[in-house]
Amino acid sequence: MAEFLQQVVEGLGAGAIYAGLALALVLIYRFTGVVNFAQGELAMFSTYIAWQFMAGGMAFWLALPLTLAVSFVGGMLIERVIIRPVEGAPELTVVIVTVGLFIFVNAAAGWIWSFLIKDFPSPFPAGSAQAGALTVSYSTLGNLAVVAVVMGALYLLFQHTKIGLGMRGVAADPRSARLVGIRVGWMLALGWGLAALVGAVSGVLVAPLLFLEPNMMGGVLLYAFAAATLGGFDSPVGAVVGGLIVGVAETLAGAYVGFIGSDLKVGVPLAIILAALLLRPQGLFGRAAVRQ
Amino acid sequence: MSERSERGPARPSLVAPVADEGDHVSEPSDGRAGLPGQAAEASAGARGWRGALVARWRGIAVVALLAVAIYAPFELVPFRVFQFTMVLVYAVALIGLNLLVGHAGQISLGHGAFFAVGAYTTAIMFDRWDVPYPLTLPAAAALAFVLGWAFGLPAVRLHGLYLALVTLAIAIFLVPLLKRFESVTGGSMGLTLAKPAPPAWTGLAPDQWLYFLALAVTVVAVLLARNLLRSRVGRAMRAVRDNEAAAEVMGVRLAFYKTLAFAWSAMFAGAAGCVYTWVIGFVSPDSFAVTLSITLLAGLVVGGLGSPAGPLLGGLFVMFVPSLSQDVNEAAPGVVFGLLIIAVMYVAPTGLAGLAGRAARTIGRTLRRE
Amino acid sequence: MSERSEPAAGDAFLAVEDLHAGYGDARVLHGVSLRVGQGEICAILGPNGAGKTTLLRALSGMCRVRGSVRLDGTDLAGRSPDAVARRGVAHVPEGRGTFMPLTVEENLRLGAFARRGRGARQSVADDLDRVYGYFPVLRTRMRQVAGSLSGGEQQMLAIGRALMLRPRLLLLDEPSLGLAPLVTRELFGIVRTINAEEGTTVVVVEQNAHLALGVAQQAHVLETGRIVLSGSAERIQADEQVAQSYLGYRV
Repeated sequence: MAEFLQQVVEGLGAGAIYAGLALALVLIYRFTGVVNFAQGELAMFSTYIAWQFMAGGMAFWLALPLTLAVSFVGGMLIERVIIRPVEGAPELTVVIVTVGLFIFVNAAAGWIWSFLIKDFPSPFPAGSAQAGALTVSYSTLGNLAVVAVVMGALYLLFQHTKIGLGMRGVAADPRSARLVGIRVGWMLALGWGLAALVGAVSGVLVAPLLFLEPNMMGGVLLYAFAAATLGGFDSPVGAVVGGLIVGVAETLAGAYVGFIGSDLKVGVPLAIILAALLLRPQGLFGRAAVRQ
Repeated sequence: MSERSERGPARPSLVAPVADEGDHVSEPSDGRAGLPGQAAEASAGARGWRGALVARWRGIAVVALLAVAIYAPFELVPFRVFQFTMVLVYAVALIGLNLLVGHAGQISLGHGAFFAVGAYTTAIMFDRWDVPYPLTLPAAAALAFVLGWAFGLPAVRLHGLYLALVTLAIAIFLVPLLKRFESVTGGSMGLTLAKPAPPAWTGLAPDQWLYFLALAVTVVAVLLARNLLRSRVGRAMRAVRDNEAAAEVMGVRLAFYKTLAFAWSAMFAGAAGCVYTWVIGFVSPDSFAVTLSITLLAGLVVGGLGSPAGPLLGGLFVMFVPSLSQDVNEAAPGVVFGLLIIAVMYVAPTGLAGLAGRAARTIGRTLRRE
Repeated sequence: MSERSEPAAGDAFLAVEDLHAGYGDARVLHGVSLRVGQGEICAILGPNGAGKTTLLRALSGMCRVRGSVRLDGTDLAGRSPDAVARRGVAHVPEGRGTFMPLTVEENLRLGAFARRGRGARQSVADDLDRVYGYFPVLRTRMRQVAGSLSGGEQQMLAIGRALMLRPRLLLLDEPSLGLAPLVTRELFGIVRTINAEEGTTVVVVEQNAHLALGVAQQAHVLETGRIVLSGSAERIQADEQVAQSYLGYRV
């Protein structure tokens, strides 16, 4: 039993990371109706920026806010420059553009920083806390705390600020949003900026665990997709809960289902996506099934 | 509609005929960011004698291209023959992807997985049972079709994005899966197999024989795709792409046709994978990583979505862009592909093929005016 | 065939000159000219498909236009809907356009989104009170999501949201659509009150000509994208022939 709980806790730690990226996906989906296939790669690129800052001698806690700021501006720029021309185009077109962005960002990172893996320092101390029979590493606790903070900050932004209200208005009905004088284009850019920022957080959390390399986020993106599908693509809360569930499911499957082991764990998100589509297509927290 | 007529003869002959899908070829849309080829089909009246003329020109172009394709391997060095063989292999997979993305408007980020299914089916049949190679082709295609159907079923019921997610997940999952069943698949080391040898009566070198096998499969694939698109089912697919709601109202069974489109396109990818195994004589899981799937999609987009010439142009891209740009930097192919995809979606959603067609029409119009 | 026997450009609050508009290749308005004085209610009447909704959309920047639209001297033509809104034009669109998943109060606050600067917080609170004064039912529903409101309440919310903009010009598209006669009458009563108390200029598109003419001072009849008749509301109401051919009922 203790061991089981131990696995659950570790799953939650992994799930927090998936939740972070899923949150980024959901943000963009809610505002623009676009599933950003490049989200993971943008997060990876942000992580490299953080690495670059630190390679220049900067302390982690100074590099982080700088990286987040750069990611935020970068996300906005990408929306304005790359996504804007296909705004309102058929979904297929937009998805293909994000796939193009995926390929480009991935290759650009490889070009700039090479495909060799790099060490990335963990922002959290190495030890672990003891609670009864449970051992919880500080990095697990840290990951969970960071995601909770991000979640709380987003909640405050959306529920208690004017700009957040404006963004929700745009998400609910862009045409009416224009009619009340909201500059919808800027709100969409803001959504991309926020998503890039949240994604950067998840990238920085992943990097110490997986090592930094251009393909680092490929697998994480898949878990994040599973989390968003499970939680509901239009629900930020769903993304977080979905992420935690996916993390726990993955860890438990790896530990207890002998056949899966550590190498086939990546089948778990596929199974979760398929199961969610068959049983509850709108996701656990989603409003309605995403239909055309 | 009459613009169509300038297109055939003026198109570069290298490109035009290979994937000629007849009258259902859709025109590139004028909206710069629109879905490729949503324009209405030509009505029978608008075609008239000019249409017949175009058809004849197209026929001549097809024959010419085929003649060049048949003659080429006798002039090229074996390595080039091998490269063009691979172009044909990719083209077959892209014909399938084009059915799905270009004509049914669904997106797959996992066609490399079906390609791998075909390749491994063939490899295992060789390796375990010494099956004669011609028999592996239908087996590989059929298995890919069945798997495509099975995975398409839950995914296409809903929004198109879920098919993209599921296919991406399959593509990522397949590599560790192949590595796991080591006794069958050879694990990470893969399987090395004998390539089909040319029959003595042909007098062909092995590379030439493989080239002709690939060419034969390509021709069959082109004809099959053309007939599929001309059938009732092809019309239903395009109706689904152009307006899903309207298609449903008109009584098109959406889920059925979308699943069918996916299964077919998986089938073509499986067939391509089979020929891949014939040609390379070696399969390993890492050859079919998710990069392959994404590269295939990239090639098709750059070549031309929904365009008859798209798959062949895309095949050329998938083959030659990496080998040419890799000298600059390991990451260069990705940079080139990524930028090209975005640029193509902005300026020419129908890709290079559409661009060529558009240019040809503009030139034709200008000439006529003078 | 547009009539130009209207007040001169100088004294018109809203001056529309030779306005063409449409969607894509389809042209809907073919040279509409009209003037609305400050504080007036102007009714746009006409059969289905005449271009009434398009006219309102053209005024608020929701479709491409050629021609000129001047509001108190500033040219609005060719500006985006949000820019037009920031210049004081509130459009209550066809279908009401409420933000369904948001609460009633959030909908109203969004109406005042463009307002900024010092004292904005207090003035928004004041305006909320004012809107709740016009539509008391909205106050009782302020924490409910807009999607849960009845049709009439949604229309009230849409008008309330428009008022939150402190509009200089209020555009109403078929406020009576889908509502019970009693609710409609109440709504028009409130529109008249708003017009009287705040001096808001109103352009209202309406199928129910009788109701619209009851509150309007000026009216224009639109047919296939052209104004075929203009005049005071009384005159148009009195014109038997107009009533029959355009308004679809006998007086």
